[in-house]
Amino acid sequence: MKRLILTLFLASSLITAPLMAADANGANESTAVYRTQWHKDMLAGYQSLATQSQALESQAQTYCQSPSSEELEATKRLWLDAFLAWQQVRFIDFGPVEENNRAWQFQFWPDPKNLVARKASYLLKDEAPITPEKIGESGVAVQGFPMVEYLLYDQTFSRSESALPAGRSCQLLVAVTRHIARNGETLANDWKGFQSNYLGSEQYTDTTIRAAMAGLEILEERRLATPMGLRGNGKRSIYSADAWRSGASLIAADASVQGLKKHFMPAFSKLLNDREQTDLAKRIEQQFEEVLANFPELDRPMAPLLSDDNAFKPLQSLYVDLTQLTALVNDRAAVELGVVRGFNSSDGD
Amino acid sequence: MPELTRRSLIKATLAGSAALTFSGCGMLPRKAGSNSPQQYTGAIGLADGRFAVGAIAPSGQMLWQAPVNTRCHSGCNRPGTAEVLFFERRPGWAFYVLNSKTGEQRHRIEAVKGEHFVGHGVFSPDGRYLYAPVNRYEPGEGIIAVYDSHQNYRRVDTFELNGIGPHQITMHPDGQTLVVGLGGILTHPDYDRIKLNLPTMKPALVMMDRVSGNILARFRPSHHQLSTRHVDVSPNGTVFAAYQYQGPIHELPPLVARYHNGHYEEVDFGESVHRELGNYIASIVAHPENELVAIASPIGGTALIFNGRTGEVIEKSAIADCAGVEALAGGDFLVSSGRGKLVRMGKGKPGVEVASMPVQWDHHLV
Repeated sequence: MKRLILTLFLASSLITAPLMAADANGANESTAVYRTQWHKDMLAGYQSLATQSQALESQAQTYCQSPSSEELEATKRLWLDAFLAWQQVRFIDFGPVEENNRAWQFQFWPDPKNLVARKASYLLKDEAPITPEKIGESGVAVQGFPMVEYLLYDQTFSRSESALPAGRSCQLLVAVTRHIARNGETLANDWKGFQSNYLGSEQYTDTTIRAAMAGLEILEERRLATPMGLRGNGKRSIYSADAWRSGASLIAADASVQGLKKHFMPAFSKLLNDREQTDLAKRIEQQFEEVLANFPELDRPMAPLLSDDNAFKPLQSLYVDLTQLTALVNDRAAVELGVVRGFNSSDGD
Repeated sequence: MPELTRRSLIKATLAGSAALTFSGCGMLPRKAGSNSPQQYTGAIGLADGRFAVGAIAPSGQMLWQAPVNTRCHSGCNRPGTAEVLFFERRPGWAFYVLNSKTGEQRHRIEAVKGEHFVGHGVFSPDGRYLYAPVNRYEPGEGIIAVYDSHQNYRRVDTFELNGIGPHQITMHPDGQTLVVGLGGILTHPDYDRIKLNLPTMKPALVMMDRVSGNILARFRPSHHQLSTRHVDVSPNGTVFAAYQYQGPIHELPPLVARYHNGHYEEVDFGESVHRELGNYIASIVAHPENELVAIASPIGGTALIFNGRTGEVIEKSAIADCAGVEALAGGDFLVSSGRGKLVRMGKGKPGVEVASMPVQWDHHLV
């Protein structure tokens, strides 16, 4: 039997210091200035996603009209560019990206049951034409970057009869890239339309900071620690990583950190500085540089790094740098600002 | 509404230290209006990442912690026995039958193929039949699964809800009517916890006869994205439902509904209170001894007590990640949080922390 730790009633521990807290005069101190900056910075990220997705769609059409190995390589390059543009804004988990599960549409992951491959096989065997409507009703495992990655990179698939540029596979490639491009365009437009609600609601400041915190946590825990065998059964497994088919797991991590630096940090640093957390702001900025210093050396496939203990070391360094960044943002800064992510609040029921 | 002002903090501090000085233990009164064991049982997350079900005595002692395979959500006491059940969190592949005195596991009952539990259940008043909301995930149909505890929890019946995403279930004081929160959200275990039907949700508060399975009444909230998750009934038969709004956070719809004398209505706490609730309520409990109802929102970090008849907000406290609520004898409530806190609050008594321990309490105390 464990005796509870009965604490003295420092009731202050019950209180968070929400960012919209009333000041001494009872007036609400608006944080709209930070949201103005965030809105602008995130719009740039969404616009880049829209542009890159359109370039991918158009290249997929070019390739399928006149297939060649050069055009296939060009399609792979543009898939990566668009995928990395998504990685930069992937942490934004509120606002228009929530509608119709758009974030899941861009990237259905994790996929422990390999639904992407199963759905692809089902669609390619089916006789019905692959129309935009068909893609629209086929679920999130079909609608995003992992499906295109499967068609372009999956080793078993690319040795099969259905491999690109087979007609039906090309139809699927063009249809899915079109779906991604439409979603990218809609998302950028909807983000513009979201401006007045975003600027007008104080709670979006907390929401934005929580989004960055969640993005860092997912990166550390699910995108790195899990495939590195630091969680669960302790076994290293590339199949727990995202984008393992293309070997883009780590360059995607690089892009996600850069995305946080570009689209989140400017307003966040300003907020910390305004709250007289200058040292902390500086430490976080420095830690971003520490993490990014692991790249571009680590912009390479993760699988070989998992199978060799020597090669594993640079991955461990990245992981350690990232845990320090997460600790600074999610523990230090969040506590200073009174932003809480909890056992119940971050994943409810 | 009184915030935790500096003055009330000082008062709370003094009251707290007095309690500690004069009694040391026995911090919590008895559980209100309940024949169930005098302890509070909840699903917990442990510091090392494992999960358990834990029970604390009113004296503030952790009585036991029973290890479980995965995160659990809520459960129910089996009337007239020393059994407490806990359900794995959605998608819940099993429920645990534990000895409520020792935490010893008596059964682990797995869901039928093609079904999963959703974290809640309730017994018939005689303690024989267990009614558990279940998702039949291939067709996406919500059902109430009936288990017979006299036959080692054999599945004996299935009631159709004609709807998607049932969540909490409770027993009406008439002993005959099941009250079910039908969340309306379609999920499938292959797709993690993705909400698959947000544009076409049809949430409802459902009343069902526990013997025939007939649906006696169905009430729809004012917006189709007001997921009707949690429910409770006061001794006079007033039913309360708590919503989780699936739309954007800058919209502030009502979050609580009340059904009494054939009349279903939503309770408006006003915009500023709604903002503090973050469009999400984790628990709702009607106090069996008075007219008060308590709700907790981990998203808003707010627990509040309102008058169940008038809808007037009586007391409100900022409690980070608060979720579980239980009624205490004498008229107060106990609120638990994902940060291991237990907080007592009541009319004229803002939150006073009574315990803190290195566990994370999940949504419900039973």
